Amino acid sequence: MAEGEIRIGVYVCHCGLNIAGSVDCKEVAKYAATLPHVVLAKDNRYTCSDQGQEMIKKDIKEHRLNRVVVASCSPRLHEPTFRKTCEDAGLNKYLFEMANIREQCSWVHLYDRKAATEKAKDLVKMAVAKAALLQPAEEIEVPITREALVIGGGVAGIQAALDLADTGYKVYLVEKEPSIGGMMARIDKTFPTMDCSICILAPKMSDVGHHPNIELLTNSEVVEVKGYIGNFHVKVLKKPRYVKSDCTACGECAKVCPVIAPNEFDAGLAIRHAIYTPFAQAVPSTYIIDMNRCLNKDGVIVCDKCIKACERQAIDFDMKPETIELKVGTIIVAIGADVFDPSVLPNYGYGKYSNVITSLEFERLINAGGPSGGHLIRPSDMQIPQRVAFIQCVGSRSDRNGRLYCSNVCCMNTIKDSLLIKEHWPETEIYVFYVDIRAYGKGFEDLYKRAKKEGVIFIRGLPAEIIEDRKTHNLWLIGENTLQNELYKVNVDMVILSVGLEPRKESEIIQRLLTLSKTQDGFFMEAHPKLRPVDAATGGIFFAGCAEAPKDIKDSVTQASAAAARAGILMAKGKVTVEAITPISYADKCKACGLCTKVCPYNAITLNKELKRIEVIEAACGGCGTCAAECPFDALTQNHFTDEQILAQIDAVTEYDAEKKIVAFCCNWCAYAGADFAGVSRMQYPSNVRIIRTMCSGRVAPKFIERAFAKGAAAVLVAGCHPGDCHYINANYHTKRRVERFWEKMEKNGLNKERLQLLWASAAEGERFASKIREMQTIVEKVSREEIESSKKVFEKALGGS
Amino acid sequence: MPKYLIFLGCVIPYRLSSYEISARKVLEKLDVELVEMPTFNCCGYPMDAINHELMLTLAARNLCVAEKENLNILALCNGCFCSLNETNKMLKEDKKLREEVNGHLKAIGMEFKGTIEVKHLAHVLAEDVGFDKIKDAVKKPLTNLSVAQHSGCHILRPAKYVGHGDDPENPTLLKNLIRLTGAQCLDYMDESACCGNPIIGVNEEVPFQMAKEKLDHIRAVKAQALITACPFCHMMFDMNQPRIERAFNEKFGIPVLHYPQLLGLAMGFSPDELGLGELRVKPTELLNQIQGGKS
Amino acid sequence: MSEAQEYVPSVIKAEELNPKFKYEMSKKHGAEKIMLCFQCGTCTADCPISRFSDFYRPRKIARMMQLGLKDRLLSDEALWLCSSCFTCVDHCPQGVEIAGIVRVLRNLSVKENRIMPLVYRELASNLLKGGYVYEIVESRHKKRAELGLPPLPKPNLEEIAKIFEITGSSKMLENVKTFEKVKS
Repeated sequence: MAEGEIRIGVYVCHCGLNIAGSVDCKEVAKYAATLPHVVLAKDNRYTCSDQGQEMIKKDIKEHRLNRVVVASCSPRLHEPTFRKTCEDAGLNKYLFEMANIREQCSWVHLYDRKAATEKAKDLVKMAVAKAALLQPAEEIEVPITREALVIGGGVAGIQAALDLADTGYKVYLVEKEPSIGGMMARIDKTFPTMDCSICILAPKMSDVGHHPNIELLTNSEVVEVKGYIGNFHVKVLKKPRYVKSDCTACGECAKVCPVIAPNEFDAGLAIRHAIYTPFAQAVPSTYIIDMNRCLNKDGVIVCDKCIKACERQAIDFDMKPETIELKVGTIIVAIGADVFDPSVLPNYGYGKYSNVITSLEFERLINAGGPSGGHLIRPSDMQIPQRVAFIQCVGSRSDRNGRLYCSNVCCMNTIKDSLLIKEHWPETEIYVFYVDIRAYGKGFEDLYKRAKKEGVIFIRGLPAEIIEDRKTHNLWLIGENTLQNELYKVNVDMVILSVGLEPRKESEIIQRLLTLSKTQDGFFMEAHPKLRPVDAATGGIFFAGCAEAPKDIKDSVTQASAAAARAGILMAKGKVTVEAITPISYADKCKACGLCTKVCPYNAITLNKELKRIEVIEAACGGCGTCAAECPFDALTQNHFTDEQILAQIDAVTEYDAEKKIVAFCCNWCAYAGADFAGVSRMQYPSNVRIIRTMCSGRVAPKFIERAFAKGAAAVLVAGCHPGDCHYINANYHTKRRVERFWEKMEKNGLNKERLQLLWASAAEGERFASKIREMQTIVEKVSREEIESSKKVFEKALGGS
Repeated sequence: MPKYLIFLGCVIPYRLSSYEISARKVLEKLDVELVEMPTFNCCGYPMDAINHELMLTLAARNLCVAEKENLNILALCNGCFCSLNETNKMLKEDKKLREEVNGHLKAIGMEFKGTIEVKHLAHVLAEDVGFDKIKDAVKKPLTNLSVAQHSGCHILRPAKYVGHGDDPENPTLLKNLIRLTGAQCLDYMDESACCGNPIIGVNEEVPFQMAKEKLDHIRAVKAQALITACPFCHMMFDMNQPRIERAFNEKFGIPVLHYPQLLGLAMGFSPDELGLGELRVKPTELLNQIQGGKS
Repeated sequence: MSEAQEYVPSVIKAEELNPKFKYEMSKKHGAEKIMLCFQCGTCTADCPISRFSDFYRPRKIARMMQLGLKDRLLSDEALWLCSSCFTCVDHCPQGVEIAGIVRVLRNLSVKENRIMPLVYRELASNLLKGGYVYEIVESRHKKRAELGLPPLPKPNLEEIAKIFEITGSSKMLENVKTFEKVKS
């Protein structure tokens, strides 16, 4: 587009009453019309509606708009929508800018219309100032490898792998256990239909084993992930099985093995040998040797019984760990969940009283293929219990013991379990102690009703403690029947603790390898809780099953198919465009010092010593902008987040009342998203903060902070992802270093360093963000006129070059 | 050498000199220097039910006195420890509350600054003196003695304010201190349950039943004595034991010793020096055994 | 239990419910989380008083506060049975400080001149008179000297009186009705 006169159109959205409820949108639009380069400013009810978009398109043509600003919700929600609108009207999408007056204004200042309106004006002014400096840009295209990686071989991973493989894509399924099957393989029956769990899962497992498009890597772990959407380079560590795939699973080896160990699959209630197969339906069926148990250590053969017993000569003690390198375009994370360990609760005596077991142990006890052949026996005397109690919410819904959230599956699982007992031993007295019974799904209420009809007694009120009768090993449960306002003391033969689900321990590793975010409960965070529920915020990565939140089998399978479809869409296209937010270098200013090459997390900048200049590999660039912040000579800047644009935003904020304002730089992925979350949750905080979005806090150059202070700002906040959670590998470590150095500088110049704050806040930590602003408000109130003047003076130099 | 302002509270001067005497004896020997409060008022605990602000301000006044002396407080009584420590921590954490209370304190020319700590006797022994030093000071280990402990609620709960790392579900602080004397400390049922004394002013049946149940559990494990760390709990089990026995027509006869009395015996102080004569349930048998075990 | 059922009228009239009560209470220190209580009953189940009393039920107190049954709460002597052992505070899965709620209600009862056990008036009056909540008689002072104990620290009665006055406590204690014993 030929650069002539800049003509900006501004659209102030009411979002029904979401914005108009606390912001005077008409006044904001009127104000916008007075800003430089604005040729048109309108307010309307729903800008994102078809009519709203059509209006923008029409205006672009009729009024020859060459920049568009929409003041509405978060750009994290509708920036793509409006960019497309602009493109449809022939305007380059990088000429669009958004002012977030909903999540970061109307929703967080619900009760102060005047202040919210003033803030909205400022936000629009900032957006207009940036818009005037926007440049059109073309995006580069990157090819997508048409192969996928699925991490985790539970029912979710199995379903996702099968769907992708059936679509025609090559799939690598990585499972850390010796067999796929996950939690579902260990459960006896499923609710609400009471199907045999392994009977419906086993055929799918076997499909995975035989599928020509699936490469199954069991006993394996992902150890390294590099690259980006469409082009991930993955390293998988395949641990040795010590049994070759020639194994026919005849089992002669295990028969002669002299070593015994607890069987993990049966929750330790049964035994296995050092050479074993986890369970009858295991896929692959190939046996495995547990080297922690086997007598042959470090390749020294002291026992060769299994070797002799194996007709196929499949046993190979020389097997070594292998590192397999994969190149995939998409990744599905289906790592599942752990179960809560109730031994931390002293009042329930799990681990101390033999007849207190967990719901997972119960599943193995009631399973015909389990250690007791499906006979429900209590551990103390191997007798069939006459009276059984289930305790709900063990490890769930508690900020004291376990987790704050509801684990979703335990209510129905208990109801199912109670019916299984009634089916076999109808005379058993069954008590279920609960707080709320959540029978919300299809067919759930029917099952609940059936349990009540069968005589299962539901008592509202959790036992405070379990006391064991030392002679009989019977158990006393003491608590309050809250519906009758009476205390109870119930005597039973066996107690089943309905344990909740929690994030896998290994999820920390996966989070780090894939730079994912987690919600406050510790499960992985989806890109949007409603509209992109299986996408990770990081491109090309998707979630399935309990990795995202506790869910039952049906929901896990549904989500798995959704994740497969989402990954499939990307791979079907075969290419993806990379946002044009890469660095721009000015050769005339570059001194070839090489600082930028050192801070780039992707090694996307190289120094050409001969030509004394740097070279940028755009496809490898992640777009964090930390190189631009590092350059001491203004020889580098970032497309769409240029120095001029950011400085213009700072100037717009500080034009009036700077001494009362907080200039906040927030990274797109965590801090900005966290501020959005504060809005979604309607957390209220002081209205004097103005947020400037950068992709990464690593983009925040010291000169931006200097400029804010030079312009008289009361305080500055730099906010990013928690160290270790950075979406650009480690770029935020540079943020930390720069801010720390800045503090030193402030101290040296006699300035109160409290006026510059550094915050790590994840996308889920809205309250953390809000309370930081509240805290900073008290700092702002204390900053004196003199202090403002002296910081203006100290950073005077930063005023040049605007 | 650790130096503390000793906070006696109200119950001890009123009824339980023996706790104070034995504590002072033992602490002196263990090189803990005690300074008297220059001015005192009730810690505030009993006033919390009437007016929370009154309790906070009364407690804060004592804290201000200690701040002026620049000394940490050592409380002998669990109730005093609870209100002083909780108030101290709350005022340090909660700016708004601190401003409120400081508003009140202004009227008497004081200001809470948050510069000191509050500890219970048991914390000072475990943390400042240390197990090794106590072990060294034990001259006559009470090896043949089996006792039970009752820490008392307010050095265990609410866990978020008490601190010092003891587990209210499975308290070990007092147990470990008892074990240093050479005596065996027995586990019994519901060890951290309340003695009942705080409500004795409004109802006797419930606290008597509570204390009786505890005495039942203690008797069941055949403890020769109960060791307490709180004068209030001590009153319930010692002074009220004859009344409990009458009310339930049972005989317990369990002597109840203040912890520093037990430690003092092991350190070689005589029963008289430790005020053992003040106890309602006479520890005659116990003392005979200790003396017997010595020879 | 029949006695308990007589004690609480079975019908709650709509006009008894004060929907604003819980908001007022949640502003008080100690009762901030009242709205979070989901009535699991852990507090009552763990309560050492509830085990021996037919009337004292912490969960019910929390529920009544949520419902705004202010008059019933404040006229119920059972409110004064809590021994503040804080077991409920430590065990609440939702972090509700039940003992704090009871204390807030007791404070309210005194503030609004409802009821209060007599013993608190005695304790307060001793405190005002001598700095200690029990009267330390002269013979005790002598005994201390005999035992070689240092003299007791002196109270500053003027300051104590000032603290009572400034926290509005003196007036409260004058007008509140007292009772001697609570039935259990």
